[in-house]
Amino acid sequence: MPPLFLQTIEDTALSTWLRESESPFAFYFVLLFHTFGLALLVGANVIVDIRLLGIARAIPLAPMQRLFRIMWAGFAINALSGVLLVIAYPTKSLTNPDFYVKLTIIGLAIWVMYKLRTNVFADATLSESEMTARGAKLAKWSLLLWFAAITAGRLLAYTYKYLTYPS
Amino acid sequence: MNFVHLHLLLNHFPILGTVIGVGLLLGSLLGKNQDLRRASLIIFPAMALMAIVTFFSGTGAQGAIQKAPGVSDALITRHQGAAMLALLFMEITGAISLIALWKSRAAPRPPRWDWSMSAVLLFSLLTAALMARVGTTGGDIRHPEIRTGHEEVAESSTFGKIVHRFEPSPDKFAELMTASKWWWAFMMDMHFVGLVLLIGSVGILDLRMLGFAKQFPIEPLHRLVPFAMFGFGLNLITGILAFTGMSAFYTYDWAFWMKMLAILLLGVNVAAFYLTDAFESVATLGPGQDAPPLAKFIAATSLILWFAVITLGRYIQPYSDTITVHK
Repeated sequence: MPPLFLQTIEDTALSTWLRESESPFAFYFVLLFHTFGLALLVGANVIVDIRLLGIARAIPLAPMQRLFRIMWAGFAINALSGVLLVIAYPTKSLTNPDFYVKLTIIGLAIWVMYKLRTNVFADATLSESEMTARGAKLAKWSLLLWFAAITAGRLLAYTYKYLTYPS
Repeated sequence: MNFVHLHLLLNHFPILGTVIGVGLLLGSLLGKNQDLRRASLIIFPAMALMAIVTFFSGTGAQGAIQKAPGVSDALITRHQGAAMLALLFMEITGAISLIALWKSRAAPRPPRWDWSMSAVLLFSLLTAALMARVGTTGGDIRHPEIRTGHEEVAESSTFGKIVHRFEPSPDKFAELMTASKWWWAFMMDMHFVGLVLLIGSVGILDLRMLGFAKQFPIEPLHRLVPFAMFGFGLNLITGILAFTGMSAFYTYDWAFWMKMLAILLLGVNVAAFYLTDAFESVATLGPGQDAPPLAKFIAATSLILWFAVITLGRYIQPYSDTITVHK
């Protein structure tokens, strides 16, 4: 049997409401914001990545540091909505190994994003060729990790063992 | 208005539109007219978008009439198979047309006739022929007086016999899509990957037009549009495949139809951007320069509609079980 604290979380008013409410502002609203966050975070990061890898070279690189605000906003939305999604279905997520794979991948992807910001975009004296030289490898990792993160996230819908705590 | 009306209304667009597009394209060849050629390249993607919605409305029309007297399941199945094949060719025609349009944008002079134009001509002619078959097989369902055979699927023409060999069996195709949970998961995964590519590229262009990150000149950002189209293509393919797998599930879901409406409106939005002077007015804008109101309006509409598409897509799932399935 899964650990009992999962049942405790499921029995809280917040978890029950998120899961069982007929309101359009319950579970699927949180899931919607998780998708918005994904679009902002990964959408913006992918643009920076492909530019560093040599696509659409005409776009000046330096202003791209503005996009990191969008990425952090997306990350904040997804951290918050992610916690709420776990509160709604704690047994479903926390008993699934894929959930921990997903969190690890996201941790790595965010670390790569932070390195991009500090190694490539923080120093305003760097030329564009110096920036791409420093960023190309990080950009490849970033694309790979975000692709893996989306895949691991999507698989959560198809690989869980329990939907709710077994009675 | 029910699905039968909707289907009968929509089906004129891809069928007649393709014929008109082919006519304009052939006319442009004879008269060496660049405007006619451009018009045909705009019509094909528009019809490719309309064809998807027309195809989707077919399931509802089928649900409404298949129990009616004189309606044969075999004829419906034949029409469905014909529609699937025609849709495939229509989408290919639309995609190559967009490539040809994109190439002609980059050229300083009017485009020469190259491989993409030859491919558009070839695929649009094939599409027109397949669309004609979709129209006649569809008409056969409801008009017994023009039917050549009776209850059985009678292939009256040589063309019909040949084409029929390439048409998928709708039921088998649907089973194929839903047979494996992993295949379904893969399609949904690709649908999210497409979403990210699309929103990333379109989003940054829209935000720049609205005044965010004005350090960017606009024309270079516009070169991300092929990425957006690639993402849209991924979602179009996975979306159509998902629909064919669970057509009744999507057909009786209002969020799904609102999503389709929003996508059609986005088609209008893209047309408004390129066919008014909005694009011309922003293409030359350098760092720090402000976009004119029309371009800002189009950018804002695009952002709102894309987020509406995401929202409606997310709500397809929960509300689908609240709608009665008409079997």
